[in-house]
Amino acid sequence: MLQFLAKRLLMLIPVVFGILLFTFALTRLVPGDPCYVMLGEKATKEKCDDFKKRFGLDKSIPEQFIRYMGNLAQGDFGTSIVDKRAITDIISERLPMTVELTFFAMIFSSVFGVLLGVISALNRNSWADMGTMLIANMGVSMPVFWLGLLLAYVFAIWLKGTPFFIPPSSRLSAGVSLVPLAKIWHLENLTGMSRFLLQLISNSAILNGILTGNITLVRDALWHLILPATAVGTISLAIIARMTRSSLLEVLGLDYIRTARAKGLIERLVISKHALRNALIPIVTIIGIQIGGLLGGAILTETIFSLPGVGSAMVDGILMRNYPVVQGFSVVIAIIFVFTNLIVDLSYAYLDPRIRLE
Amino acid sequence: MKQRILFVVVTLFVLASMILTACQPAATATVAPAPTEAPQATVAPTQAPAPTEVPKPTDTTAPTAVPAPVFAVKMDYTEEPYAAQKMEAADCTYGGNFKSIESVDELTVKFTLCNPDPAFLGKIAVNAFGIYDRGYLDNYGGDAAKINENPVGTGPYFVKEWVRGDHITFEANPAYWGEKQANQTFILKWNKEAAARLLDLQSGNADGIEDIGTDDYATVKADANLALAPRILNSFLYLGFNVDTPPYDNEQVRQAFSLAIDRAKIVSDFYPQGALPAVQFLPPGVKPGYTDGYTGITYDPVKAKQMLTDAKFDFSKEYTLSYAERTRAYFPQPTKIATAVQAQLAEIGVKIKLDLMEWAAYLPAVRDGKKPLHFLGWGEDYPDATDWYDVFLTGSSKQFGKPFDDILAATKAGGTTGDVAKRQAAYDQLNKLIDQHVPLTTIAYGSTALAFGATVKNVVVGPYNENFREMSKEGGQIVFSQSGEPVSLDCADETDGSSFRACDQLYDPLYRLQFGSSESKPALAEKCTPNDALTEWTCTLKKGIKFSNGAAFGADDVVATYARAFDVSNPNHKGDTGVFQYYKDFFGPTALNEPKK
Amino acid sequence: METTVPKLIADTTFERQSPSVEALRRLLKHRSAQVGMVLLGILIICAIFAPWIAPYDPIKPIRTATRRSTPCIHFLGCPANKEQHIMGVDGNSRDLFSRIIYGSRVSLKIGIQSIGMAILVGGLLGALAGFLGGWLDNVIMRCMDVLMAFPGILLAIAIVAVLGPGLMNALYAIAIIEIPIYARVLRASVLEVKDRDYVTASRSMGASNTRLLFTRVLPNAMTPLIVQGTLGIATAILSAAGLGFLGLGNQPPTAEWGSMLSEERNSVFNAPFLVFFPGLAIMMTVLSFNLIGDGLRDALDPRLRGSGA
Repeated sequence: MLQFLAKRLLMLIPVVFGILLFTFALTRLVPGDPCYVMLGEKATKEKCDDFKKRFGLDKSIPEQFIRYMGNLAQGDFGTSIVDKRAITDIISERLPMTVELTFFAMIFSSVFGVLLGVISALNRNSWADMGTMLIANMGVSMPVFWLGLLLAYVFAIWLKGTPFFIPPSSRLSAGVSLVPLAKIWHLENLTGMSRFLLQLISNSAILNGILTGNITLVRDALWHLILPATAVGTISLAIIARMTRSSLLEVLGLDYIRTARAKGLIERLVISKHALRNALIPIVTIIGIQIGGLLGGAILTETIFSLPGVGSAMVDGILMRNYPVVQGFSVVIAIIFVFTNLIVDLSYAYLDPRIRLE
Repeated sequence: MKQRILFVVVTLFVLASMILTACQPAATATVAPAPTEAPQATVAPTQAPAPTEVPKPTDTTAPTAVPAPVFAVKMDYTEEPYAAQKMEAADCTYGGNFKSIESVDELTVKFTLCNPDPAFLGKIAVNAFGIYDRGYLDNYGGDAAKINENPVGTGPYFVKEWVRGDHITFEANPAYWGEKQANQTFILKWNKEAAARLLDLQSGNADGIEDIGTDDYATVKADANLALAPRILNSFLYLGFNVDTPPYDNEQVRQAFSLAIDRAKIVSDFYPQGALPAVQFLPPGVKPGYTDGYTGITYDPVKAKQMLTDAKFDFSKEYTLSYAERTRAYFPQPTKIATAVQAQLAEIGVKIKLDLMEWAAYLPAVRDGKKPLHFLGWGEDYPDATDWYDVFLTGSSKQFGKPFDDILAATKAGGTTGDVAKRQAAYDQLNKLIDQHVPLTTIAYGSTALAFGATVKNVVVGPYNENFREMSKEGGQIVFSQSGEPVSLDCADETDGSSFRACDQLYDPLYRLQFGSSESKPALAEKCTPNDALTEWTCTLKKGIKFSNGAAFGADDVVATYARAFDVSNPNHKGDTGVFQYYKDFFGPTALNEPKK
Repeated sequence: METTVPKLIADTTFERQSPSVEALRRLLKHRSAQVGMVLLGILIICAIFAPWIAPYDPIKPIRTATRRSTPCIHFLGCPANKEQHIMGVDGNSRDLFSRIIYGSRVSLKIGIQSIGMAILVGGLLGALAGFLGGWLDNVIMRCMDVLMAFPGILLAIAIVAVLGPGLMNALYAIAIIEIPIYARVLRASVLEVKDRDYVTASRSMGASNTRLLFTRVLPNAMTPLIVQGTLGIATAILSAAGLGFLGLGNQPPTAEWGSMLSEERNSVFNAPFLVFFPGLAIMMTVLSFNLIGDGLRDALDPRLRGSGA
């Protein structure tokens, strides 16, 4: 087991390196120039030549790469071309937002998805089956931004003035502020990894609120997360429901289920103790994939609801050719994804002893 | 077992941090901030009637209208008292227009130019020319990253917090030299989607929004709770040609294309109210420049087709029309407009293929002259014709191919004299030449609008700014949603409207544009008077003005600000991109001490 | 001695009887699948017979039409002197209904081709990884990890930038992004199936790896792939819409539901029909594939054949 873990973690290094190499090459090869983006219609060639020199973009691509890797080895992710801030700072701001959104979206979609899938599988070919599958299917068919805008319209315009009003955008209400933990706990002078970790926690509105006893902050953050989590979770919900249904149906057809029933076990125990547990493998795979995808940033949702997360940082970085941002976030996303996969694979072993971890 | 241990550890951690927080000496102000609360002062006792920084005892300014000042921003460096400053060029051959800028005395600055500039007062009123404190610049090294953390200016607001990606909270600056602010808090948010901004406004989440979508004007007008605030900004959309690339190297072809476009229909279909179909190169608001009564651009598809046939145009080929999907006031619905033009050209038999590109790749390609038929536009920075003709027609890029000599001559004639009549005469000629040679043909004059909730009083929206400091609303808090996040608060080195709106609340230039008009009026300066040749501008400054951290404002700050941006060898010449675009554009094209290529 | 035995053996030897005919029969009887097939049938008819079904040209603006006018159906009371536009008119004065009909061509093409490619490549990779295990499994799955961790949009932009804009290249981009998903799903499924009794039985009878893979393991491991595949078509159509936002993929003025949606996204509140109908079309397409996928899953399930394969 430990050997497996160690091997998989070691694999992280070539994966991250591969991603960095790929990202680096691609971003440099794609046409477009951050200078023109930043200076807009007023950009001229001379200004951009100066610009390039200043940001080291005039050197050859392999040289830039070596420089970047060298800095990275020392923990320096570079600075953003657009606003000269340390990439690690930007990561520490955007990542908690996305994690919060992913967390609540996945809770919503996993719980209801599995529930719908189970109902569907147990009442196969009945109206309940068709009904739940129809709901699940509609969720996955609707474009997420359409659903998002619709939800926003319903809860922010129709229900304006009622207790059911939910704000249509942003992370926090105007007037509610997020005070950095470093200020509150007098830890302004931390550096390096500990500073990064502190910032990560500090920039999560919910964690920050819990740790400082600021219930208003927690409530406000949660309130603003309801609509985006629902919009983005609806898609995952449908996918999970479908997978649960098909997986459970497969398992229910197996002999040992018949045996369990013949033995006289209550149906509920048959389902939960015998069937579900074995049906979970593909479901867990799908949940893992969904989490990985969401952590990469639910780009459209973030745009509609104006949430400053990883997705919008990435897209803005790509569109503005802000290379350090794109590279930095690629690394982060890659690391998260590999870890998620690792956990999913570990859970295979837990759920099905026949699958050996090699 | 392991799970249980983990659980216990986490619980203990959470408890520990809650205890830590509870034992803090002062209240951690997280909601409803007190007016004089400084960002760094959250931990210190919040009762701060005494200023955190007292002006130097030698600075015995006579009692002014400003009462005992409280400085909201902490001064974290040693203030530099007045010392004469000078930025000087050896001679006027370096390629820029500043010969020298010097502080004659504490309240007088003198700008000496190489060439006369009739537009000087309009230029220095642009947001990029906000004044910084000299000591501040020295201490922060002029680094935009540091400036963003703690911006200091003479403006009506100071930054209480900048929650990246979400909003900036401005609080009224108690030491402001001007009229008392009509509201206490100004919150600037942003959202890229026009529909989402409108939703914010309708739901009360925002009190004002910018860039209404064309089709939302009707919604806003119909809603009694909202008020439309049109913005008359001189801007235009043009169809550009590269005159070196066939078939656009034939003047007849270019003229024919121009005749084939039904601008009136495009404007009525896709542009909001206030926009106009183009009749000549410039929008009517640019004076001198616009030739009254002149309609050089017309719509005549029959003649267009005839001209193409006469010019032996190849109708069997497909021609590419390039554009980028980037919404601007001059280009509110790019794909729809491009599709409409494609269809109009199809009516005279020209086969057009649309080439939709990404902005980051589009602009460099266009500037390199690689897109022989393209859409682009322009929005004015300062109200003068030199911000139009000189940009497009002087061959500063390969975009249009080789410039025309007669056009070059006329452009120069109009931009180097202060005599309005002479300028207009030159421009009248120039407008005709443009319609003859057609390096580009203007399609429409753009327009945009903002919208505010009806509960916001005293809204004045001008071409370049809004009077947030004068708007009032019950509760004393105004929330505004714009279309993007400010790039930085070091506007000397920025060009985007999102940053400028933020900077407008923090800094003042020497002159500023009057709210609701494009007239330049004194701000930090008492008055700036030129000599007869318009090459020397002497500005007297207002007395007793302080920056938001208590530093005194004086002529040395003005020189330091301009020198830092314009002189490449200045130690504070860092900023954000290091280009200081507006300084170079207005007073260049070459900056002082720019290294030779 | 009467020999009725051979007849019985013939009846119970499933390998002799074509399993695909069996499966097809089951599929056709499945209720959900029937609805799905009807929907898909309508879509395919729209795609093939578009020029006859659509009343107007999908690309040329109609001079007599008022842009953004709401739907006008004579049958439902719209005055006869007004032009009939069943779904209204879009921002460029084109009939929305015609564009939707023509859009079925593009959307079906995007969905089926990209996912087809992804399933072929990804499925094969995943099956090999799961079946053969060992270092090959490791290498393939790590490559899949890299690809999956790669931000999809960046990849899409890169491919389109290198190959040039256009529908086909966007298709390749979408296919490449989807490959790892199918690899993962099939690998998990193969892992589960390969330890089953009937596989061990075949192996002990001396079947080669290839034979095992293609005759025993894959047919039984396919069902999750089919389920995922039908959803993948939906994702592909929606991914194309996402690419449309960034100015990639479908070039205007071709009618494609996703880009029609993107173009009108700010009209949700003042001309909702412009957003509703393309969204509805996408929904119907996706629904049809999902329902058919359901039916296929049930039809192909080996456990339903009786006493196990």
